[in-house]
Amino acid sequence: MERPDLKNTLGRLLGPSQPEIGCDACFEELDRYVELELAGKDADAAVPGLRAHLEGCPACREEHDSLRAFVAADRPR
Amino acid sequence: MPTATKTPLDEGAGRRQRLRVLDAATVGAVESVIPSVAPPASLPGPNDAESLEWLRCLRAEGTRDEAIARLHALLLRAARFEVARRGATFPHLRGNELDDIANEAADDALMSVLRRLDDFRGASRFTTWVYKFALLEAAAKVRKRAWQGREVPLEPESWRLFSSTGLEPDAEAEQHELLATLQSAIADVLTPHQRSVLVALALNGVPIDVLAERLDTNRGALYKTLHDARRKLRKHLEERGLALDDRLEDR
Repeated sequence: MERPDLKNTLGRLLGPSQPEIGCDACFEELDRYVELELAGKDADAAVPGLRAHLEGCPACREEHDSLRAFVAADRPR
Repeated sequence: MPTATKTPLDEGAGRRQRLRVLDAATVGAVESVIPSVAPPASLPGPNDAESLEWLRCLRAEGTRDEAIARLHALLLRAARFEVARRGATFPHLRGNELDDIANEAADDALMSVLRRLDDFRGASRFTTWVYKFALLEAAAKVRKRAWQGREVPLEPESWRLFSSTGLEPDAEAEQHELLATLQSAIADVLTPHQRSVLVALALNGVPIDVLAERLDTNRGALYKTLHDARRKLRKHLEERGLALDDRLEDR
């Protein structure tokens, strides 16, 4: 059996250490956050707690990564 | 700070109104969910001309049908992007199934966007705002389809996930203490519901929207339960002097 990744297991069980927003608030802010990221702005300062939520929520992280990739491909900067 | 407005995260697929094709009857159906209030004269935020034009066309009698068709095409493109991206992870999903998922996702996203048109505040481009609805719907549908017919494990499938081999004796002893404490905390400190949610999501890898559907709840409520469980475990470990930062950094 392959050696399990302890850090990943602990990370999934214990979640982010920083304060985070929930899934609903993440969805509400995701478009603004992604545009700020793509514009090189400080998205984390503008939307506190969203980055921590992405660390703790795989589904929201997938959707963030997809929106960022799709918008970047849709509107090359 | 969830809003009172119902979001796509709250909506069960079975309760949704299904739009399969964008024919005349469908356009009539989606029009009924467009808020009839007049758009505000000026919206807060950095509204660009293209976004304002989208809003104008979707609200004006003469341009609405054509704008809805264009919007559906945008949403379908985003949904297909997401389905292709996620579908590679699930090789048992066939191409026609994936295209069905993309179409269903675009239809559901269209309903959500039109229902929530007045919620658009111009904090991003209109197209970015609508894309997130299509991507969320498509991602959730792929996850649900991949788990269709599978049992959702609410108990640890194997505590071997906690074990590790090949460590130095000191590190192994330290790790053993941490894992034993964590395992007993999961059993003793959490409520039965918190334990089931934590184990399913964090240990057994069940997607959150799949679990929400099986437990007849929504994603936001489940994540709150997961968050509360994690806080309890962290507090329990910290009270016992088990430092976590070194173990969790650089994840």
